[in-house]
Amino acid sequence: MSCNEALRVQEYFDGELDAGAAAEVERHLETCAECAALLKDLETTRTGLRESSPYYRASDELRARIADALDDESGERPAWRPARIGKGFLWGALSGGGATALAAALAVLLFLPVVPNPAVDDITNAHLRSMMSDHLIDVVSSDRHTVKPWFAGHTDVSPPAVDFAKEGYALIGGRADYVDGHRAAVVVYRHGKHVINVFAWIAGDEHLPATALRNGYHLVFWKSGNIAYCAVSDTGLEEIATLTQLFQNAGAPVNRE
Amino acid sequence: MSDRRRRFETQALPHLDAAYNLAKWLARPPLDADDIVQDAMLRAYRAFDSFRGDNVKPWLLSIVRNCFLTAAGQTRHARNVPLPADGEAGSDDPALVVDAPDPEAAAISAEEGRRLADVVAKLPQEFREVLVLREMEDLSYREIAQIIGSPIGTVMSRLARARGMLKEKWQSDVEGVGHVLQ
Repeated sequence: MSCNEALRVQEYFDGELDAGAAAEVERHLETCAECAALLKDLETTRTGLRESSPYYRASDELRARIADALDDESGERPAWRPARIGKGFLWGALSGGGATALAAALAVLLFLPVVPNPAVDDITNAHLRSMMSDHLIDVVSSDRHTVKPWFAGHTDVSPPAVDFAKEGYALIGGRADYVDGHRAAVVVYRHGKHVINVFAWIAGDEHLPATALRNGYHLVFWKSGNIAYCAVSDTGLEEIATLTQLFQNAGAPVNRE
Repeated sequence: MSDRRRRFETQALPHLDAAYNLAKWLARPPLDADDIVQDAMLRAYRAFDSFRGDNVKPWLLSIVRNCFLTAAGQTRHARNVPLPADGEAGSDDPALVVDAPDPEAAAISAEEGRRLADVVAKLPQEFREVLVLREMEDLSYREIAQIIGSPIGTVMSRLARARGMLKEKWQSDVEGVGHVLQ
């Protein structure tokens, strides 16, 4: 690689340049075949790393181990959560098909003193289910003209399904799910290696918190018209908030009831 | 629940998967990513009151990386294995040698992903870590510089070399397979 601009092209690709510098690189890319090829290679390896190579997530057992260690450290062990007898006792006792889901549900219940809220619990569990089974996406698409009509046929609401790939939030599909007894539409985004599920359902008179935290998963709630929304992910709260802002600016949903 | 515990659960724990992914990509047997992450979370918790700043993720990941380096140093010491030469690996570095591709895997894209992961796993640590932090965690150059304790210029040059090595190794695999099939 001999072009002096190669590092600048990489900075451009990584979103590290301001608008003026980015425009310069774009002009350079029009005339330099070498850098244009470099940009294509950068995209290929990124796609491979983000979509095809493994992203390792902390197991529920590790989460429980850490919760125990933090309890010991801070001298806080809630009476309702006894010290685990022998590492792996509970996890060893559980085996078979449903064990992982059950263990995850237990971890959710055990991890934090929980203020009961059916929507928060339902969404956290639905998010966990979607991450550990093959049922993350019913309709695979980055095209809003595919996802939105699919919702119309399969759920009670048709939330906007806009791709924000340029802003770092790629639309990867949609799914039908349940929240608190309501049929919910779920718009699924990928941010880096993290999945963000955006649930939408017809709001009842339930009280929803602005944000909630369950087992390290952040939930961000909002309402628009008579539709309730919740974005949930294991990524940072600010990163979820950025998506919810984009989402809210993207347009009003259509209620089909 | 103490204030520190509450803040830790809100601000640090959401990055647990990122911490684990980094540890898993860094640690090689006999090192155990679970132990490294548990150690790191506990250290982070103890130091959390003195953490100043609004960006927990790079701070936490730098602790994970330090715990990995400590564990790796202990392992090397315990086994009395000489340290690898500190410097950039040449093209004859055994760490960069990739297994010959299986011709039957050519058409399977999941297989291609696995091979890509193999290539990444065999890159030297200083290149592996910048790739994981940039491509999987979507961190900025400044955040990566903070984690690895090097200037931004070093992040950029390592990232460029890492991507170059990755492309070369990965594509030579793919082309090698194509050649065999022809």
